Amino acid sequence: MSVDQETFADRYPQEAELVRRAFLVAFTALGLGALFGIFQALHRTNVLRIIPSTDYYTALTAHGVLLAIVFTIFYLVGLYQWAVTRSLDRSPTNINFTRAWLTLMTVGSAITGVTILLGFVDQIGISADVLFTFYAPLQAHPLFYTGLVVFIIGTWLAGVDWFRTWLHWKQDNPDERIPLQTFMVLTTMIMWYIATIGVAIAVLFFLLPWSLGLIDTVNPLLTRTLFWFFGHPVVYFWLLPAYMLWYTVLPKLAGGRLFSDPLARVVFVLFVLLSTPVGIHHQYVDPGIAEGFKFIAMTNTMFLLLPSLLTAFTVVASMEHGARQRGGEGLFGWLTALPWRDPAFTGMALAGLMFAAGGFSGMINAGMNINYLIHNTLWVPGHFHLTVGTAVALTMMAGTYWLWPQLTNRRLYSRPIGLLQVVMWFGGMALMSNSMHVAGLYGVPRRTAEPQYAGFDFNTAFGSMAELNIQLAVGGTLLFVSTLLFLGNLTLSLGNPKVEGLGQSLPEPLSGAEDSPRVLDNMRLWAGIALVLVVLAYVLPLGAIIQNGGLFGTGGDAYPVSVLGTFDGLDAVLELLGVGR
Amino acid sequence: MHIHQYEKLWLGMSLLLIVGFIATITYGAVGVGVTMIDDSGGNVDPNALDEHPEFSDPGVEKVGENEYEAYVVARQFIFQPDPIVVPANSTVTFYVTSADVVHGFSVVGTNANTMVIPGEVAEVTVEVGEPGEYGIVCHEYCGAGHHSMEGMLRVVPEGEYNSSDGGEQ
Amino acid sequence: MSRGVPAVEDEEEVPGSEQSVSAPVTQEEPERELTHEEFDPKGTLALILTYFAVLAIMWVFMYFVEFLGNDLIVVG
Ligand code: HEM
Ligand SMILES: [Cu+2]
Ligand SMILES: [Cu+2]
Repeated sequence: MSVDQETFADRYPQEAELVRRAFLVAFTALGLGALFGIFQALHRTNVLRIIPSTDYYTALTAHGVLLAIVFTIFYLVGLYQWAVTRSLDRSPTNINFTRAWLTLMTVGSAITGVTILLGFVDQIGISADVLFTFYAPLQAHPLFYTGLVVFIIGTWLAGVDWFRTWLHWKQDNPDERIPLQTFMVLTTMIMWYIATIGVAIAVLFFLLPWSLGLIDTVNPLLTRTLFWFFGHPVVYFWLLPAYMLWYTVLPKLAGGRLFSDPLARVVFVLFVLLSTPVGIHHQYVDPGIAEGFKFIAMTNTMFLLLPSLLTAFTVVASMEHGARQRGGEGLFGWLTALPWRDPAFTGMALAGLMFAAGGFSGMINAGMNINYLIHNTLWVPGHFHLTVGTAVALTMMAGTYWLWPQLTNRRLYSRPIGLLQVVMWFGGMALMSNSMHVAGLYGVPRRTAEPQYAGFDFNTAFGSMAELNIQLAVGGTLLFVSTLLFLGNLTLSLGNPKVEGLGQSLPEPLSGAEDSPRVLDNMRLWAGIALVLVVLAYVLPLGAIIQNGGLFGTGGDAYPVSVLGTFDGLDAVLELLGVGR
Repeated sequence: MHIHQYEKLWLGMSLLLIVGFIATITYGAVGVGVTMIDDSGGNVDPNALDEHPEFSDPGVEKVGENEYEAYVVARQFIFQPDPIVVPANSTVTFYVTSADVVHGFSVVGTNANTMVIPGEVAEVTVEVGEPGEYGIVCHEYCGAGHHSMEGMLRVVPEGEYNSSDGGEQ
Repeated sequence: MSRGVPAVEDEEEVPGSEQSVSAPVTQEEPERELTHEEFDPKGTLALILTYFAVLAIMWVFMYFVEFLGNDLIVVG
């Protein structure tokens, strides 16, 4: 190439540094989370045990929070900061503001993370063994909720930052369409603002004051429902960054162009509209919620399949376009013309394949009455390790192989190791997830430290529980090794010399934004409709829960997992710092 | 906005799939008669189960020709009563509530599966068939001893059923 | 879309032909350019119809055999 291309790091050094910082937190969480992951996989199958079963739940809380919250969301903010800056070709309005929200998020995660990990040290008496769903009346130490609040405020400010950058850009470019990547960022954040209303109310008005002893009781069904108000859209908060990579980067890797920009916009708008009024599908077998509300959540959920099914088509078509430009022929023969030796490509393609499988088990979960079959069995973690654990996590890792050189001006340490890593993740997850799905159908519950019960045995239709356990343990081990390869490869890349010319451009879509109606870019409109849908879906069920069980429940004690019980927040902070008491 | 004809086809098929799913589920609900756990069980004070007419003495009682009610209390880390004994070929309604935190109640290898939430009563009616034994597990994390929380559902031949069985603890 | 990190405008090149930074250096460049009109995603359609068939069959199996064939159907 005649002119060496400028990288993101060359053009936006300060922003690149912040993106790297966000990724650093994300990957630290990934490494720790994977460590707990292999520990769980070996412990609950009785293959290897290092700590007592009662501590299993400390690990499980850490695994859930570190991976599903810290890893995914820090990666998201890093990726989105890159995407907004890059696609608007514009720095944040005030980079110190950007620094501030990233710091806030980091501090919040650290507070919550440390509080969880202290659960391993019984002498301290602080614990947050409540799992990432923190269902009351199990009660975590107040610092657990406090960290969560700080973290979420950080994400809110991130959204403010991106909206502000976009508005300033709009003043300078009044007639232009929103660039696709920025469009994706803005729609995702609208969804996030709506989604977090639920968890913010649950934590700020109920759980935090209750853990501080300011209120005596809470209504467990109410806080649980508010959690799932947030809990379903959060899965799209994980997924949409992966979709951004599939829509805008994967076609480039494949050597083609995005099939349709308008359809990508439609898909993101559908997520804004439909991802929140469905949370009750996590409560199909909850007492206290009328069947009619469950049915409505079910139909909404089924329609929420639409944007993902459309995505499958557009993304595969973009890959096919690349393959055909590379000379691929035949109905299926073009698959061989894809750049399978590029770990970024292969990782994303395999992630997409697993998402297709995870999509199926998700359809079963969503199927209201058929949910009886699998609710809270091991089938469920089997499902979401395909979706967030692979479609999202593997796409993020694969995307890193492509982004990292542009963020650091250093080449990747080893491309073949990268390739091995993504394939190993795929293989490991195929084993682990398969065994979890099957064990779930036999009735094995999730979230337990022990593989068997004293009074009965699980009946297997074919094979044995022992075989399934081995499969789970081997799969988990492969996943852990794959994570180490990923982290090692990135770390070693930092030892490579800085070079020039690692910059990358993204190709124009085959069908561009000009083919789509302008109304798609009307953020206020979509936010407004989404809010109306949420109100329609939630006012009646929440009203009924409060009317029947009361705002603060029918009574009942708190069950603190911390040994010390309730005490005021200042004490808690002092204690953590080692002062006082 | 032009959309490729294959994409239109796929859009149509996706909608067909979605409608097909909803139709199947509706058939299950209306045709087969599978109902969801709902709010019919009512509310209780988890700290006052001792004074509750039924939950103070959890157990099975006969309420009609071949119809039985099983009152079950889930608490860290047991189910009461244990075992739950019911006669074969009967209709059993479980009323399950929690005395402390959120639990699960799942009859292993069957569709009888509900959350158990303090303050709420889960009402689950099933048709019980042949004599046999089923394990019961708590499938929601409820504290450090969660993995040991299990119970037993014993379906005995009609003739052997003795009304005091279910009440025993 | 290429805004931000400007591409080298080279009329001769196939759009998107620039190599991925994560690809092996020996990777071959795209050999032709296909526009929206010239490209019919036949292979995609074939794959996705297969997926549709798998979903439909698995759904019927899971619902009618695994679920409705299971013990203790909840009827009230
Ligand atoms: C090294 C790779 C991994 C291994 C070996 C692993 C293993 C496991 C196992 C065995 C469980 C089930 C525990 C139980 O229910 O008793 C679990 C739960 C879970 N995993 Fe993973 N996992 C891995 C990666 C991931 C990733 C990448 C994510 C998400 C980004 C993730 C998210 C979760 C979540 C949210 C849970 C549920 C926690 C809960 O029930 O509260 N895992 N994992
Ligand atoms: Cu959901
Ligand atoms: Cu339990």
